Amino acid sequence: MRSRFDEQLSILNTEMIEMGALCEESIALASKALTTGDITLAKKVVPISSDIDQKERDIEARCLKLLLQQQPVARDLRQISAALKMITDMERIGDQAEDIAEIITYLEGRTAEETVHIRDMAAETVMMVTDSVDAYVKKDIEFAKSVIVHDDKVDEYFDRIKKSLIKMIAENPENGEYALDLLMIAKYFERIGDHATNIAEWVIFSVTGEHKNS
Amino acid sequence: MTSKIFRSIFITAIAVLAATLIIITSFLYDYFTDNQVKQLRDELLIASAGTETSGTDYLKNVKYNNFRLTWVAGDGTVLFDSQADEGVMDNHIDREEISEAFETGTGSSSRRSATLTEKTLYEAVLLSDGTVLRISIDRKSGFVLLLGLLYPVIIIVIIAVIISAVLAHKMSQKIIEPLNKLDLDNPSENDAYEEITPLLSRIHRQNMKIDRKVSELNRRKEEFDLITKNMREGLVLLDKNRIILTINSAAINVFGTDKNCVGNEFLTIDRKNDTRSALEKAFSDGHSEVRVQRNEREYQFDISCIETDGDTVGAVILVFDITEQADAERLRREFTANVSHELKTPLQSITGSAELIENGLVKPEDMSRFVGHIRKEATRLVTLVEDIIRLSQLDEQTELPKEDVSLYEIANEVCGILRDIAEKKNITLSVSGDIGNYFGVKNLLFEIIYNLCDNGIKYTHDGGKVEIDISETEKELTLKVSDNGSGIAPEHQARIFERFYRVDKSHSKKSGGTGLGLSIVKHSVLYHGGKISIRSGVDKGTVITVVLPKR
Repeated sequence: MRSRFDEQLSILNTEMIEMGALCEESIALASKALTTGDITLAKKVVPISSDIDQKERDIEARCLKLLLQQQPVARDLRQISAALKMITDMERIGDQAEDIAEIITYLEGRTAEETVHIRDMAAETVMMVTDSVDAYVKKDIEFAKSVIVHDDKVDEYFDRIKKSLIKMIAENPENGEYALDLLMIAKYFERIGDHATNIAEWVIFSVTGEHKNS
Repeated sequence: MTSKIFRSIFITAIAVLAATLIIITSFLYDYFTDNQVKQLRDELLIASAGTETSGTDYLKNVKYNNFRLTWVAGDGTVLFDSQADEGVMDNHIDREEISEAFETGTGSSSRRSATLTEKTLYEAVLLSDGTVLRISIDRKSGFVLLLGLLYPVIIIVIIAVIISAVLAHKMSQKIIEPLNKLDLDNPSENDAYEEITPLLSRIHRQNMKIDRKVSELNRRKEEFDLITKNMREGLVLLDKNRIILTINSAAINVFGTDKNCVGNEFLTIDRKNDTRSALEKAFSDGHSEVRVQRNEREYQFDISCIETDGDTVGAVILVFDITEQADAERLRREFTANVSHELKTPLQSITGSAELIENGLVKPEDMSRFVGHIRKEATRLVTLVEDIIRLSQLDEQTELPKEDVSLYEIANEVCGILRDIAEKKNITLSVSGDIGNYFGVKNLLFEIIYNLCDNGIKYTHDGGKVEIDISETEKELTLKVSDNGSGIAPEHQARIFERFYRVDKSHSKKSGGTGLGLSIVKHSVLYHGGKISIRSGVDKGTVITVVLPKR
């Protein structure tokens, strides 16, 4: 009985890692598309995003089945409930990567200008997502904490980007639409950073049983 | 063991006991029956004497122990019975013993009672008056007799159980003790039962066999560890659930993990989509290859499925670092493209000029200019092809004749050739330093200095200077060519030694050259086992230092 349960938990773990890897891939693709202006890259994000949605449904069903049939307690319960929370954040990351990719197709090959720091922000966010998934894989609290710290950096980038975009519009009003698109992208990156932070917090919860917001 | 011994002792004891009991009982029973019959006859004799003399009076007064006396008249009617009322009793003429007595004088018989637990013995005698006197006694059957023995039998069984248990315990201990004390590590040195000697010698042989196998396995494991540890390629062994069984240090570096990942899923050390799908493909098709980028290097993963008897038992992942190979491939592609381009340009120009001349579009007075142009382009082609040949010679590492030369002299020679060009640009060309005696290939050393100086002059503004400095120690020779020209930006410095690489992307003919010069320099230096380094910055001039080891 127990061994079957363990097997189920290990499958859940594998699926979580796979979903995390898909998130990483979608956000990395979106970020690369942004820096290179390659629309074909941006278009690859859409199928990944639907894979992520499918994974979310699978994992959700598995978690609920485990909760009902095995009635887990303590550490197992934490792992399953944390997984349930994490997949929502991962799914949001996938959706937002898709949104970014969609905006990139509107930019018609224009890349993010280096002065706007949006590339740095994208790189930072990609790293955060990767690190949060790494923290989950290694069940490493220190790693998770470093992700949470990085979120401040991403927020700071967002403020800087906002200011430089205001300046850009003031100097060249014809760049208005472009600047607004970039602002949207920056906002999505900022949200992705928040979701990565959430994932990291749930990693800490699943290991220690303590959640920051409780 | 104890329970087995106990059981056998107990069963033996009980069997012996039961057999004894049955035999003795049946023996005694027969004996007692005989005795009783005799006793009955005696009693009957006395009673018949008494009856003949005193009749009913005697019978009424006689003391009956367990006996029953019945006096039957000649016609069978009961005259007296010591236990029942004679009035109600049936006619006894049919009774076996009585009818026998009437006929022969005496009669005897025995009958079981209705319950079968009792048996009645009868003896009858014919009296002188024609009547029959019968005596009878009830006696219990052997079974009832045994039942009566139940109580002592139970006590005996209990005693037997206790004795068996104690004995069994003692015995098993005694039997087992030497077995427990057996030294199985050295079975042949034991002095226990003779009966187990074959077993011990077999254990001894098997011990030796196991020892041999274990040491062989250890040796193989060490060999395997040593090989995998020193392998440049990464090696990961997975079982069929994709759990890491072995990972060598090269693979640990590639995946950025540590030894503790053994026992975890492969997914935990690499979750990228490309490897995951390659792994899936390997598990379904048996083999797959994938090129991936990790840590800014390029790797090739060769994944093979391991099968035993048609069952997939795991997979081997071999990780090759193909960064250099990929770079080389890229360089080769670029080189081919560049060579074709570089060869085509002068040819195009030659064809153009030749066509013009052929069609008579060139005025006679311009003819020499056009022909000169063709000659110049042809020369350029020859230089280019010569450079390519030289490079390919260097690539092939063919053995070239070495001799004792002086770098200083070669430098002077170079200066002699380049002086004209330098003077045209108003550039001072100077040589300083030691003699620089060296044992090497003169042609190549000349190429080194010539190309470096040529470049120095090409990329130095009018009025600049190019200096050659040679210094010598016991172990090595240092050649420094410095100029105060336009310099090279840091991002180009790493690539200027590549074939056809131009800092100035327009491939401008202004500076001339084939784009192979520095490549030839680099290969010539490498041929002599030396090192080349560059220190430069935009508009800060360039210093190229070549260090050649003496041998």
